[in-house]
Amino acid sequence: MPSDEPAAAALHGRLHPATLIFTVVGLVRSTFFPLVIALLAGRRVAWYLWAILGFAGLSLLWSVARYFTFTYSIAGGELVIRHGLIGKQERHIPLARVQDVRLEQGVAHRVFGVVKVDIETAGGSGAEASLSVLSVAEADRLRQAIFAQVPGEAADGDADIPALATAAAAPSVLRRSRGEGETLWHVPLKDLVLAGLTANHLGTVMAVLFGGFALVDDLIPEESEKQFYRAAARLLSRGLAQAGAAPWVVIGVAIAAGLASAAVFSVAGSILLYFGFRLGRDGEDLHRGYGLLTRRASRLPRRRIQVLKIEEEFLRRLLGLATLRADTAGGAATAASQQDGGAHGGRDVLVPVLPRASVPALLPQFFPDLEPEPETWRRVSPRAVRREALPGVWLSLFLSAGLTAVLWNVERLVPAGIGLPSLWWGALPLLLVPVSFVSSVLSYRHLGYALGARYFRTRRGALSRAEHIVPLRNVQAVILRQTPFDRRQRLARLQIDSAGQVYTGGGPQIEHLPVAEAIALARTLAREAERQRYRWDR
Amino acid sequence: METPSPAEIESAAHTTPTRLADGRPPAFTPLDPRVVSLWRLDNAVGYGILLLLSGAGAFFLGRAIGPVAWPWLAVAWGALALWSAFMTMRHPTLAYAASGYLLEERVLLIRRGVWWQTIQFLPLSRLQHVDLNRGPFERRYGLASLVLHTAGTHAASLQIPGLDADEAVRLRDQLVATGAGGDDAV
Repeated sequence: MPSDEPAAAALHGRLHPATLIFTVVGLVRSTFFPLVIALLAGRRVAWYLWAILGFAGLSLLWSVARYFTFTYSIAGGELVIRHGLIGKQERHIPLARVQDVRLEQGVAHRVFGVVKVDIETAGGSGAEASLSVLSVAEADRLRQAIFAQVPGEAADGDADIPALATAAAAPSVLRRSRGEGETLWHVPLKDLVLAGLTANHLGTVMAVLFGGFALVDDLIPEESEKQFYRAAARLLSRGLAQAGAAPWVVIGVAIAAGLASAAVFSVAGSILLYFGFRLGRDGEDLHRGYGLLTRRASRLPRRRIQVLKIEEEFLRRLLGLATLRADTAGGAATAASQQDGGAHGGRDVLVPVLPRASVPALLPQFFPDLEPEPETWRRVSPRAVRREALPGVWLSLFLSAGLTAVLWNVERLVPAGIGLPSLWWGALPLLLVPVSFVSSVLSYRHLGYALGARYFRTRRGALSRAEHIVPLRNVQAVILRQTPFDRRQRLARLQIDSAGQVYTGGGPQIEHLPVAEAIALARTLAREAERQRYRWDR
Repeated sequence: METPSPAEIESAAHTTPTRLADGRPPAFTPLDPRVVSLWRLDNAVGYGILLLLSGAGAFFLGRAIGPVAWPWLAVAWGALALWSAFMTMRHPTLAYAASGYLLEERVLLIRRGVWWQTIQFLPLSRLQHVDLNRGPFERRYGLASLVLHTAGTHAASLQIPGLDADEAVRLRDQLVATGAGGDDAV
């Protein structure tokens, strides 16, 4: 979409010369260990050595050729990237489709004052460009040129926000001290420590691995990392074997040490990844900047938030903390999450940790026309309690019967005089009955929905809680489901489908609705969605 | 983006019970009855191949283990055969009774599932594109199926199987025309 503004003048650029250094370093890293192995193996596998060297030489040649032929330019509303010596490649990315320009600056990058630029687009399968690396100033120039030409939200009637002027005036995104736009939220170090301590374990492992790898990856080649882990595992098993006399003590100490080090790692990971997290807003754009060693910055137009999730993990809920997550429309999000194996480098969170009480005041920044928080949530059918508790009851009866039968048989077979547990132990699983009732009552009491004029909210969870907010304009389809058990209780589950449900764990859904209410609600949601516009790319 | 006045927000917010549309079960249009024969043929072929393969597998397994295994293998294979017979003879009629579609004020409803039942509500302006498929078996019965694509995640493509071929073309054109009638051609 060409603009009439003078700022639309073509921008033309090349990669920073440091690209060559990073290329060589990367190459040395990837060939170092195969090379050492080949040398150790001696003359017998000389062909292996030559293969490695040949491969390294070829890829060096390719990279150098790529560097010298790589150019990018902005013209006619498109970002055009060209490279290739023999087979020339050209990629055109319409600026209107650009969702996000993400900047990432590792430790080594900082030494050279360069940054890696990833350009994400809406839809399509990975029409994504990566400029690695540009100087910080050049990255800024590119970002501003891109956003100056993205029509932004002007088409929405917000003509009074001069997107061009604000974009041109925006300072370097990585200089967080100055920041961009108005600061919406700043995560203090204390909250990051708490977040680290309360992180669930999978998340912890991911954060630690990601934070740790960001550092380690820059220094150590992949092969030696693997060797290190193997050696650590061997050492551990040998240590356990030698400890001998008191395995329980050893295991206890090991568990305590494991927990303590997990906590330390978790806190360190949380700080590494999110240090100095700042969420800012500049007109329609949300900006995030964070990271201790590897710094990241990204921009997200708030209209592209498809679903917002307020997540309260149990431990964090006890401390009154929450996490804000958002799904955005974009094929790149899916690709990225698969690439990183689930660790998104924090791309999935709007705010990694903040007091739950501060959330309502922040929400209008994401959804300007959001209705106020509902005073009463519409509850689901009370039959939900029975529906949810019954499986637990059946399970406990089954376990109890099984255990009793086993105990009875053992008693018959074993000669008297040996101390045997009483048959009453067979009733132990029955304790599950009240537990499952209490948990289903708790989850029933918090399960609810609220339908506003423009937004639909659901909330759920007994110990860990989650609230989903979806603008009706983003509803793609409404799905009602009934299992055979649901039909016995005349209940149904309602699920909202929207684009890019990647980071919020499946988007809003609400179960145990009476069938008639579920149908009525689904009809209403679909009709309202039909009435309200959905816009894919802006 | 229009910013509503506080009063408007107040009045519109969370009037959930009164704002809900009616909850009467929708009156679905059934699929073409010929689809029962199509599904029977589909399942006969599919389960026939499965029975042959599993029969051969059971035969070799039985020979390898010895005579002890024969009764067990026979029972397992018999159960599979019974299930196949059910899926071929009875299930298509049940599935036919449980399937249907309905256009309700620019919202398309699609229903399916015998035991695990689903109704999908698709606002037609969300339609990205429509595929019309005619497989070899479908052609034999003069049938076609529609695949509706949205930008969603879980329901990114919705299917209406078992439509009369001419009806499928007509329905597709109607859906596309209705969908494009909105102001947000994506």
